[in-house]
Amino acid sequence: MGNQQPVKTAASAPARKRKIGNPINNEKTAGYIFTLPFTFGFLMFMVVPMAISLYYAFCQYNILQPPVFIGWDNFAKMGSDAIYQKSIGVTFYFALVSTPLRLIFALFVAMLLLENNKLSGFYRATYYLPSIIGGSVAVSVLWKRMWATDGTINRILGINFPWLGDTRTAIWVLIILAVWQFGSSMLIFLSALKQIPQSLYEAAMVDGANGWKRFWKITFPLLTPTIFFNLVMQLINGFLAFTQCYIITQGKPMYSTEFYTVYMYDQSFTYYNTGYGAAMAWVMVLIISAVTAVLFATKKFWVYDGGL
Amino acid sequence: MKKKSKTGFVIKNIFIFAFAIVMIYPLLWMLFSSFKPTNTIFATAGQLIPTTWTTDNYVNGWKGFGGVGFGSFIRNSLVIALTATLGTIVSSALVGYGFARFEFKGKKVLFTAMLLSMMLPAQVLMIPQYLWYKQLGWVNSYIPLIVPYCFAIQGFFVYLFSNFIGGIPKDLDEAAKIDGCSYWQIFVRIILPLMVPALVTGTIFSFMWRWDDFLSALMYVNKSAMYPVSLALKLFSDPGTSSDYGAMFAMACVSLIPSVVLFLTFQRYLVEGISTSGLKG
Amino acid sequence: MTRRVTAAAMAALMGASVLAGCGGTGTAQTSAASKTSAAAASSTATTAAPAGSTSGDVSMVFAWWGNQTRNERTTNAIEQYQKDNPGVKIDGQFSEWNDYWQKMATAAAGGQAPDIMQQDYQYINQYAKSGQLLDLTPYIENGTLDSSKWDKNMLESGTVDGKIIAICAGMNAPALVYNKTITDEAGVTIKDNMTLDEFVAAAKTIYEKTGYKTDLSYGTVQEPMNYLLRSDGVVLFGDGKLNATKEQLTKYFKVYEDGIKEGWELGPDVYADITIGSIEQAPIVAGTSPDKSAWNTLLWSNQYTAMNKLAKEGMDLEMTTWPSPDPKKSDFIKPGQFFSVTSGTKNPQEAVKFLNYLINSTECNDILMGERGVPINSDVADKIKSQLDETDQKIYNYIYNVVQPNCSVINPPYPDGYAEAGKVLNNVVEELCYGQIDASQAADEFLAQGGAALAAKSGS
Repeated sequence: MGNQQPVKTAASAPARKRKIGNPINNEKTAGYIFTLPFTFGFLMFMVVPMAISLYYAFCQYNILQPPVFIGWDNFAKMGSDAIYQKSIGVTFYFALVSTPLRLIFALFVAMLLLENNKLSGFYRATYYLPSIIGGSVAVSVLWKRMWATDGTINRILGINFPWLGDTRTAIWVLIILAVWQFGSSMLIFLSALKQIPQSLYEAAMVDGANGWKRFWKITFPLLTPTIFFNLVMQLINGFLAFTQCYIITQGKPMYSTEFYTVYMYDQSFTYYNTGYGAAMAWVMVLIISAVTAVLFATKKFWVYDGGL
Repeated sequence: MKKKSKTGFVIKNIFIFAFAIVMIYPLLWMLFSSFKPTNTIFATAGQLIPTTWTTDNYVNGWKGFGGVGFGSFIRNSLVIALTATLGTIVSSALVGYGFARFEFKGKKVLFTAMLLSMMLPAQVLMIPQYLWYKQLGWVNSYIPLIVPYCFAIQGFFVYLFSNFIGGIPKDLDEAAKIDGCSYWQIFVRIILPLMVPALVTGTIFSFMWRWDDFLSALMYVNKSAMYPVSLALKLFSDPGTSSDYGAMFAMACVSLIPSVVLFLTFQRYLVEGISTSGLKG
Repeated sequence: MTRRVTAAAMAALMGASVLAGCGGTGTAQTSAASKTSAAAASSTATTAAPAGSTSGDVSMVFAWWGNQTRNERTTNAIEQYQKDNPGVKIDGQFSEWNDYWQKMATAAAGGQAPDIMQQDYQYINQYAKSGQLLDLTPYIENGTLDSSKWDKNMLESGTVDGKIIAICAGMNAPALVYNKTITDEAGVTIKDNMTLDEFVAAAKTIYEKTGYKTDLSYGTVQEPMNYLLRSDGVVLFGDGKLNATKEQLTKYFKVYEDGIKEGWELGPDVYADITIGSIEQAPIVAGTSPDKSAWNTLLWSNQYTAMNKLAKEGMDLEMTTWPSPDPKKSDFIKPGQFFSVTSGTKNPQEAVKFLNYLINSTECNDILMGERGVPINSDVADKIKSQLDETDQKIYNYIYNVVQPNCSVINPPYPDGYAEAGKVLNNVVEELCYGQIDASQAADEFLAQGGAALAAKSGS
């Protein structure tokens, strides 16, 4: 790994210029050509809808009638909307608690399942399956049954606690559901773990490093780009989480589990305050941008091999 | 790798197995529930194994709705999910390579745009997107469900691939360049084979997400004969009158089959991709 | 048959009283109608001149929500219609309830609404006020839509601002479904038109004798509150404001508060474990032990069939009216669903013809079999009734013999802002049942926040 850094800087140095006729072989233009599909896709499919929704954020709009421009009113309304403010707190709590838990879990299981034996295919499938069935009705029904006052969890614990009916614990039922669906992060970890050169481990074993030490000296540092990727993605997912709340608690009890996006959805499509909903969405973009920017700022302190 | 002590191995495997059961319990519950008479599912939700077994739910669910069988819904979903996934993977790999290996003016802006597109809640884009696609004349077709994905519209995959490519030693590119390879050849001959695990991961995710995609199907697919599975599954429930949870669970189990088969077919490539160590050493 | 005659007479009388009661409405309606028929004529002239003559091929979209049975039957009815009317092509599009409204809203925003749509009492106001629905008055006047055999009350219920914009697709009434096995065990007789006090007394006795609790529709209390307040002559959700006084609200919130304190009402923790509104999970059929089950549930008559299918072995489910201090003033017959023609349709004449088929054709309704509720066309209703099974016949008898002789006209369609105000109401009841506030605070909070939600929407 150590020898990779200097190579990278050499490559990215602007000194390297090639004069080849085909623009795809020109280092300066090749980047544009390879990223062209995204540039086109973004301009074609994202820019206009995003601009329209940004416009709605400044409108009174009920979907059925044309939007009416009202300036900053929708944003001002957030200041006096107690449920809105509560939903921000709930969402931060959910995102900041469930994301690290999910990643730790995913990495742990990925390490366990790295070895190839007869059963590992089956194991990988079983650990991934919960993510496939995702937000289906069956999950919602069963999850409620499990955490019900007379449900499985209480039976195992021998108590009679209303997990879903208590404002302090209901959010944890959703957090655990999110953690249970760690499959996609696990797969990404698996493929990244496989990318780590086996020779490094062999050398470390010759040096007598134990498993724990090998993890912290080799696996973890080389995995930091993937950890960072998963962290960014899952954090964004966490802030935008919708399904868990929508299918299980619907924000109950007393808005203690009201996700930001669920409240936004209700405003947009249940109460038909669609302009207000759009304004909420753009505030969420600002929140996530800020969080992501902070993450990217910390990147140079702990992530190997920057890349982007 | 060297084998650890035998007892350690056994304990580890018992642990993994027990935990695997916990993980898939909900799936087993759904499977067994689909064999219960539909009106007893909630009353007997606490018990896993049905008291009376029935396959009525499968018969009833497979019948579909209004003369369109469930088989058609699955076929529709396969068409959508497979083409959109192919488009996603190809375009995202190209863009990911562009981001990972080249420095160019505006790269930061483009990358930020990509992140930004992931931060906006999907629900809020629905109406604007509908209006835009209507302008393009795409409403009432599969186009909005497929074409945008062929242009790396999902930043997740671009970022995933570019991150993975970033982990491939750059001296491989350099060596190939010295051998006279063009960037395109480097991408096809060196990068692509090395990123198989990432491509497989991406394929599995993309297929699953397209398969489950429900919002855009709801918006853009009008004809019942063209409904995908994600839309059809919801039709078993009607809060106003009665819902057929038995048939819903039965068909939910059936609709898991493609994703599971895909996963089982490809999962070994996740960990069996060409190892970079050989090339590097 | 005699029963049917009296019922029809009753309906006619009530219809007459409605029209007499609102003297102005009749004339206002006709003047509005003539205006719009002129507008309709001009619009057809520009867009689809030959619409009336059925010369060319006509292609229309008909959208509804519903379950498998409804999708099946409606699709069959469409096929039959297409067979009888060559050249007319109708595309049936069905979705699940929540999805349906999301899809309809988005389609309407893009000017792509279906030609004919199923409508609901909760939404017609909103859709009508934003000009999405076609005024059907001229078509009723020129006979394209035959209203001669309809229950006139139901015609009134689909009228907004003097325009008939929706036709009732099936009649429905509030129905308290109860487990007779339990009430018998407790030695309690549940009779029709029970007062609120009698109901509370019964609930207490049942709780003492059997341990079974009472389902007060926690999570969906808008309808029961609406119902109760009708006994005070109040239309709870008014245009831009709540009409009830603090005293009136406190009186009924107190029932919820006391029920929790005294133990006979199911607590919020029970509802936290289920999906509220899903009858499959209702505590009356899915409860695991008496303290988590109910002896009753507040539903609608058309849900009785489905409820009955969910009844466990040895569970005898019966149906009666919801409790109220004044049952006659509270009770009403409600359109279960409506059909509307949208204003954007290119073929209004053809769309209305199909609507007429859905409502008035006995042949069509032999296929639909009253699945959406009791048909408003008395001939059609009679014909279907004889073919129904025992459970469905019970529903017909309930509507005609129990509700109709002892009810009042339904409230006007819910105003814009109802969805949010209704949510506020449920949140207030939630806080009440969690013991965070008392009945009087609940009334204050609901009046303030619910009122604000309605006020924000008025004038828009």
